[in-house]
Amino acid sequence: MKKEVVAMLLAGGQGSRLYALTSHVAKPAVPFGGKYRIIDFPLSNCVNSGIDTVGVLTQYRPLELNSYIGNGQPWDLDRSDGGVHILPPYQREGEQGTWYKGTANAIYQNIGFLDLYDPDYVVILSGDHIYKMDYSDMVDQHKRTQADCTISVLEVTLEEAKRFGIMNAHPDGQVYEFEEKPQHPKSTLASMGIYVFTWSKLRKYLIDDEANPDSSNDFGKNIIPNMLGAGEKLMTYRFDGYWKDVGTIDSLWDANMDMLAPRSSIDLRDNEWPIYARTPIRPPHVTGPDAKLSHSLVTGGCRVDGSVENSVLFHSVTVEEGAEVEYSILMPGATVKAGAKVSYAIVAEEATVQAQATVGSAPDGSEGWGIAVVAGGVTIGEKAVVAPSAMVREDVKGGEQV
Amino acid sequence: MNDLHGILFAYHSDANLGELTRPRNTCSLAFGGRYRLIDFMLSSYVNAGITDVGIIVHEGYQSLLDHLGSGKDWDLSRKHGGLRILPPFGYAEQGHGTYRGNMEALAGVSGYLNNIRQDYVIMGWGDIALNLPVAKVLEEHLASKADITVVCSPALKGAPRFSEYVEVSGEGRITDLSIHPSAADKALESLEVYILSKQLLLDMVEYCAAHDVHSFSRGVLQPRLKSLKLVPYIHQGYVGRFQSVGDYFQRSMDLLDPAVRDDLFSPVRPIRTKDQSNPSTYYGPDAVSSRSLVADGCFIEGQVENSILSRGVIIEQGAKVSNSVLMQGTVVKAGASLSYVIADKNVKVNEGRTLMGHSTYPLAIAKNSIV
Repeated sequence: MKKEVVAMLLAGGQGSRLYALTSHVAKPAVPFGGKYRIIDFPLSNCVNSGIDTVGVLTQYRPLELNSYIGNGQPWDLDRSDGGVHILPPYQREGEQGTWYKGTANAIYQNIGFLDLYDPDYVVILSGDHIYKMDYSDMVDQHKRTQADCTISVLEVTLEEAKRFGIMNAHPDGQVYEFEEKPQHPKSTLASMGIYVFTWSKLRKYLIDDEANPDSSNDFGKNIIPNMLGAGEKLMTYRFDGYWKDVGTIDSLWDANMDMLAPRSSIDLRDNEWPIYARTPIRPPHVTGPDAKLSHSLVTGGCRVDGSVENSVLFHSVTVEEGAEVEYSILMPGATVKAGAKVSYAIVAEEATVQAQATVGSAPDGSEGWGIAVVAGGVTIGEKAVVAPSAMVREDVKGGEQV
Repeated sequence: MNDLHGILFAYHSDANLGELTRPRNTCSLAFGGRYRLIDFMLSSYVNAGITDVGIIVHEGYQSLLDHLGSGKDWDLSRKHGGLRILPPFGYAEQGHGTYRGNMEALAGVSGYLNNIRQDYVIMGWGDIALNLPVAKVLEEHLASKADITVVCSPALKGAPRFSEYVEVSGEGRITDLSIHPSAADKALESLEVYILSKQLLLDMVEYCAAHDVHSFSRGVLQPRLKSLKLVPYIHQGYVGRFQSVGDYFQRSMDLLDPAVRDDLFSPVRPIRTKDQSNPSTYYGPDAVSSRSLVADGCFIEGQVENSILSRGVIIEQGAKVSNSVLMQGTVVKAGASLSYVIADKNVKVNEGRTLMGHSTYPLAIAKNSIV
């Protein structure tokens, strides 16, 4: 049935800059903020914006993401008409199937899906940002300005601008130039990777772009410049709320820490714009007689007997007696045994830090300092020491140093 | 296992829970931080593979309906079968006051009973906190060739004057059933959870209706101790029954015992409940939390000790909560102090107030009260 707006969520990326954290799952499935996975943010935004048809384009390690999304019920996206659809690359008659070559190609390969719903507008989203945004407001502006493409932008500093796609726009918001990671930025309006397209226009540009063998089939590199070059109307949409790219270990750690200060980041307790998640069945968390908890998030199924400060604990985490956890992120099922110390670290799902072991340390101003990462399922042996900024992918024997 | 049908009674209760059950049926009383009592029996059914469950309600069931919804959180929202809420007046000829007993309740939904697809039925009250291995109960029911299996607990958790007790012979048959005796020293406590065949149930419902008998225990079990083979299933796990405010408080405090939690919240048979997408609980810089069970979505800047907190409780800076049970959405303002208090849903305790009950007489505060 015809839909006015369909959202397409690009969730196929590996997120290679998250290293060990995405060795088994796609980036959008990485746990975030105690209760969530990254993809919960764009998905919840869709539902809260009244978009009930969402295509999730998957490619890299999709299994966990697929089972997490399931039938879309946690986001009220289990609909008899529309709802959430997982869209992996597929084979067509008479041709060899190909992987999604780029963001634009991923949408190109799903023109058939979009045609099923014959939308007026398509919202393109990515699965690696933490933010709350009303896409319907952006679509409204797109309609009002009769744009062909509307690009959500955020004011950044001149220094940061060098890392983003920068939109140079007239005062009325119409884009006249787009620069990818400019050395000398002319403006500080950074693209957030969120686009609204008039579907009939985008459809044409996708087909043209696909016919060009030299194209890298990417929205930022090809589609946007092509539309600009052809004189289409591209508008910026100003966003000024909290928005964080969580594509690197540091930014993921940072954004998690931001969740401890809801006044300055995202208020997850706000009932007006709830972020939904698939919640595993766990009893409430338990604090022991000597537990110390300060400025931290703790989730169902946790057992805290030690000390936890400035940290985010996902579900089913155990912090034993005498263990100290500070400025760290403990993902679902992580265990910190008695007397162990975890600071400035990310301990991934089901990893274990054995008794008296040390993971990471507070910043000491030295060059090589960074967040220590223990990959999912890994065991750090008794009294072992994991240095700051280490990336541990395999078990560490007791007493060893890495 | 698809040959077992589940029935839960949730039509009223004899329990004397005062303020706590005024706005609701005992079955939808909050318990254990994030649960309602009905979650325990309902999850026990679902974890045994039961796909069809009928819940018999009569009055005060609004909060139960809100909680259960379509049954999707228990995987009971199905094309065939699934969850059925059975209100009174569902059948034209019915329709006088409250059900006088479970047999009358069953007669009230006889049309539903006739359509049960399964050969066996498990029935019981929806207000017991336990994690019953229903699959095992059925297995033993079939192996013993009993007509009726009665689930019993060796640990006396109810008060004799509200509970039923069975005596068992050497061959493992129930030889006597006493209802609300003044003392019950050597007997097993019946949890009033039964497995029997659909056919026997239908026959008994018809017999009881024709003879104006309202109670399964008095009308079916007691007169048929010899003619039917009644066998106990002894449940060794934790059982929490709720017959007074004091009981409710004690059973809540039981959850601070890890052995009780391990049994009740066994990961093999998880207790399911309505998902509310609460964020994680936040502890502020000066928060203290010890020996407590805390659900998601709380915001704690004060002190919590020996307490059970439901979803979305707010404890402001300098507030102290000890030995208390705070239900969903309770707000304890700065500097307030609570001890041996049961605060119902959305209670607000203002700045600096001090509320104190006693372990034998906890102070229960009604839903939506502002102190």
